[in-house]
Amino acid sequence: MNIRSENKNGISVVRVEGNVDIITSPEFKKYLDKIAVSGSKTIVVDLGKVDYMDSSGLATLVEAYKNIKRSGGAIKLLKLSSKVKGLFEITKLDKLFQIFEDEGDALKS
Amino acid sequence: MKNVISNDSHLLKEESGKLINALREKGINEDVIFEIHVGFEEALRNAMMHGNKFDISKKVTVEIEITDSFVRICVEDEGEGFDPEKIPDPTLDENLLKECGRGVYLLTHLMDSVEYKKNGRCVIMTKNFRSENKQGRG
Repeated sequence: MNIRSENKNGISVVRVEGNVDIITSPEFKKYLDKIAVSGSKTIVVDLGKVDYMDSSGLATLVEAYKNIKRSGGAIKLLKLSSKVKGLFEITKLDKLFQIFEDEGDALKS
Repeated sequence: MKNVISNDSHLLKEESGKLINALREKGINEDVIFEIHVGFEEALRNAMMHGNKFDISKKVTVEIEITDSFVRICVEDEGEGFDPEKIPDPTLDENLLKECGRGVYLLTHLMDSVEYKKNGRCVIMTKNFRSENKQGRG
């Protein structure tokens, strides 16, 4: 898994590539925690290049959602593949997260 | 194929890699392989973490049967077992923010049938291959 981030008008855009699973989730969690602590109120997580995710990846995003919400911010998900989106639909996490296809829409909302 | 593996989560990827390769050799399409992949790793993870409770002296037995029409996977741990009926539904509003409890739910919904035996120590899951599950068909 590779993660990088950039700041776009005060919004942190985190781009993830590869697998988000039991092996990589701890690193993903650390990264999101670091971004949240840095004071970013809004985080957009681009999952467009994530090929595989399991329940530990979903749990990491739920934890990030709670942490950011607690500090008055928001986390948005971007460009989920149909396979990964299917996991969000099965677990009904698509009700919890704002999910966008277009980065511009995610940044504007 | 039957394999008895050590209770080491790093072996999980090795096992799922073998399964994915075997499914690709059968010509199963990538969307279906993804569902089997997630279901298998969730079962293996549950066996190692919740069943064997990270005990490296314990083993997990994996049995996989792949035919032209289905894959059947049995994952058995050496723990005390569990009652899958007692796992709270993670999709209920009151459970949506919980970080745990989605593994069993995912594998139940991604596979065509899931059966627990030996007091929950053994999970047997099956995914049927329909013509549309094969690459280049349907």
